[in-house]
Amino acid sequence: MIVMHPSQSNRGSEQGACTARGAAMPLLLHVVLLLLVLGQIVYLASRYRVRIDMTSDKLWTTTASTSKLIGKLEERLIVEAYFSPKENLPLSMSSSRDWADNFLDEITQLGKGRVIVQRFDPNSDAATAKTAGRLGIKPLNLRSQSATSLSVDQHWQGLRLLYGGGKQKVIEAFLPNSSFQAEARVTPKIKEVITGTKRRIGYMEWPARVPRGRQQAIVGWNMVRRLRDLKSRYEFQNFKDEDGALLPADLEVLFLFRPMLLTDRQKYVIDQFVMNGGTLVLFADAVEYQIDSERTFKKVPFTLDAKESAYPLVQQLSHYGVDWQPRLVADMHEIAYKAQFSLVQEYFAVAMRGAAGRAHFTPVAYPYFLHAVNYDWRLSADQLAVDVNGKIDDRKAAHYRKVLVPGMPSDDFLFRGFKKSWNRGPGFYWPTSVGLRERAGGVLDLPDGVEGRVLLWTSPLALVEDPPAGLNPIGLNEGVMSTEHKRFMDGLKDRVIAETRMQVPLMVEVQGDFQSFFVGKDVPKRPSQISAEEDRPKDGDKPGEEVPKSDPNGPQPAKPSESVADNSETAMKSQSASKGRIVVVGDATFLRDDVLGGDYTRMGGPDSGATAMPFFAQMLDWLSDDRDLVDLQSRVPADRTLALVEVSSKTNEDARDTEQALRSKTTRLVALNVLIPSLLLLTFGLLVWRLRRNQKRAFLASLDAA
Amino acid sequence: MSNVITSLWGRETRVIFRRELKSYFLSPIAYVFGGLFLTVLLFLSAKTSLVHGAPATMQPFFLYLPWLFLIFLPGLTMRLWAEERKLGTIELLLTFPVRTSQVVLGKFGAVVAYLGFILLLTLGLPLTLGAYGSIDWPPVLGQYVASLMFAGSFVAVGMFWSSMTRDQIVALLASIVSLSVLFLLGNPSVIEFFGSNLPLWCAGLLNGISPYKYFLSIARGVFDTRDFIYFTCFCGFFLYANVLVLKARRESKG
Repeated sequence: MIVMHPSQSNRGSEQGACTARGAAMPLLLHVVLLLLVLGQIVYLASRYRVRIDMTSDKLWTTTASTSKLIGKLEERLIVEAYFSPKENLPLSMSSSRDWADNFLDEITQLGKGRVIVQRFDPNSDAATAKTAGRLGIKPLNLRSQSATSLSVDQHWQGLRLLYGGGKQKVIEAFLPNSSFQAEARVTPKIKEVITGTKRRIGYMEWPARVPRGRQQAIVGWNMVRRLRDLKSRYEFQNFKDEDGALLPADLEVLFLFRPMLLTDRQKYVIDQFVMNGGTLVLFADAVEYQIDSERTFKKVPFTLDAKESAYPLVQQLSHYGVDWQPRLVADMHEIAYKAQFSLVQEYFAVAMRGAAGRAHFTPVAYPYFLHAVNYDWRLSADQLAVDVNGKIDDRKAAHYRKVLVPGMPSDDFLFRGFKKSWNRGPGFYWPTSVGLRERAGGVLDLPDGVEGRVLLWTSPLALVEDPPAGLNPIGLNEGVMSTEHKRFMDGLKDRVIAETRMQVPLMVEVQGDFQSFFVGKDVPKRPSQISAEEDRPKDGDKPGEEVPKSDPNGPQPAKPSESVADNSETAMKSQSASKGRIVVVGDATFLRDDVLGGDYTRMGGPDSGATAMPFFAQMLDWLSDDRDLVDLQSRVPADRTLALVEVSSKTNEDARDTEQALRSKTTRLVALNVLIPSLLLLTFGLLVWRLRRNQKRAFLASLDAA
Repeated sequence: MSNVITSLWGRETRVIFRRELKSYFLSPIAYVFGGLFLTVLLFLSAKTSLVHGAPATMQPFFLYLPWLFLIFLPGLTMRLWAEERKLGTIELLLTFPVRTSQVVLGKFGAVVAYLGFILLLTLGLPLTLGAYGSIDWPPVLGQYVASLMFAGSFVAVGMFWSSMTRDQIVALLASIVSLSVLFLLGNPSVIEFFGSNLPLWCAGLLNGISPYKYFLSIARGVFDTRDFIYFTCFCGFFLYANVLVLKARRESKG
């Protein structure tokens, strides 16, 4: 037996500990080195990375617009980012910084050396903060509070874009919530800073008087013209001159918002604008209905031509090849008037109280508020040709296949975003029919040298009528609203059954070499000329200046220099100097301030902002054939709204029933989703258990047998 | 490269993988853990996702998932080595003619495969969303892959702690604490707090080591090589550390 001396034992354990320590050191070093190598790999991977956007809408990828613009850079684009440190940002701004950084990284990579991002922290020194402030970059002053202190912190997140030495643009607060928003904010600015000049757009508008409480308010079309991104790229100038001065020759685009009481002189001005090769866009209304809180939809007196006018506007447009019948259009096809995704926007709705006492709006079917639908109506020929016995009339079906057309036949970029996002065009309110001039038998009858196309059509279930005095579908008595609405819809349905199926054009474009409408006619004189001629025999005074009337709520008056009566007016052009273009849209109300601004939304609609604003914005680029930002504007994520139950647009259905159906469906779906996977797992477990038991029994049986 | 993969995921690894995976399904663990995990996860996310008028998105599901992984996964990984040690089977396992790295990889693969199976059972939710709305499938599939990688990173950490101790409770607690720290470091509000108290580079570094940050990056629907490399490195590091611990133990016994 070996007895170990305690000192020997201690020495042994010390040796063991030393060996362990000696082995642990290289191991630790090994681990630390490995950690450093892996850290370096991750760092390099974050510097040189490949990313693939898996979302169908390409939500995390810059569009071709940005790539194209960056590709166009001839000089360096310096992006000065005035960003305070991310770590100091409150949570609400932190993710926004991620988006901003992500976008700046992307454009730097796209620029391949032509885009340089310089970062400044205005919070680090007073001089930088002063510079940022002078540039117009606005800090966010946010209060932070702790148990012992209260302070106001300044957080900066603005950009200055510098191009070619002198040109610059400032984004005072760049707080995107997605890469999509970041791009929408910065790319137009890059375009501005590259191109530098704004394109001039002329307009004339005839504001409407709408009831607001007990008073009347004047509303025009200011809101669309003041869209932030448009304002920075286009300069809108009012050319509605009471004295009818001819428009400047360099004006390329002129918008007419709901012309009414047009004088012959105004028509002449428009005619000569087109003869000069201008693009005329007419938002036409055939009628005006009063939208008020009660939604009485009463017809308001509305006249297209001035009393003394000898040449009707309709006739003038017909001369150019546009067939405008100032009649009202309704579309009885459900998909044309039904609120998409169960939203009440763009339509009007009646407030209903649910079982829980919560008020919510129930959309009211109203075929006078409609959309052109992106659908090839030829495909519904058989359905339309079904006779009273339920059989398809082959002859009729063949006829429909021949005459029907897609609702949105054009593939122009103006409509691309609409087709992709909403599958239909903008919502129109009480639209009017505008098509191409036709001869008897439906044969196109355009003037020589003029081409035309219809851009938007209704469904084949459209109705056209002279505007009735009132179009309130629900009446004013709350108790009988459902009955009234049913009566209203039944009346329309009866008419659809009785009338021939037809598609009605809602938007049209003609272009080419036009001949003046005033050829062979006396050139209408300017009011100042008329008054001068009237005054001359009396006292021989020279014609004086007539100052246009100013409307504080309406458009700004034209510049005096352009409204001065000028006797040396250029001679009438009887033929287009260059190709002119006329676009007529059969509605102006959908772009009006009161409708766009959501004045009626709180009372149950209508509100066309969702589609009207992008339509107008894209139209400007479309008219000027500016495709640089087209991908940006048509980049709307697809709607992925869940529709658990079908929401009916019928007013006679009780909202409580819908609510109850929705609740039970949701509960059922949640229960199924929770229970089925667990039950599957349990079943699998039981099967395994049974299998094992059988195996065990078989094994035991074999043992017994042995 | 192919030699390395073949040697790591060779026949021996596959044997260990099958043995481990089979052991899950032959014990009540798979069903208790799976049933509980699925019920809680699907109840929370179905209640939030299946709302009429809301967008058809799996975002709530993938928002709850990391939290549930944080709670449930340490319970699954705590026994991986600790139980082998407690039952004394680890000696037997380590005397098999297999490399330690193959044993570790086989066990790791089995847990991840089991979690993949559990995640497959949740596919009913996106299918329901797809039936009542238009769901964007490619990012959803990406999110599932991201979830599996995220789970893998948690499993690697849990396995490491399990190899360090004989006591399952200690392994559980150590895993929960370390995973919570790693998880929270990817949270913007925590980083915001660190940002005001630590140097910027330090706050950035801390944020950079959290798997949650990379999970969120993939979960939004973007395939980024950085995120995949991060997860590979992260799992690789902890699995390697696991191998080192086991080797050291084997050598100390030997």
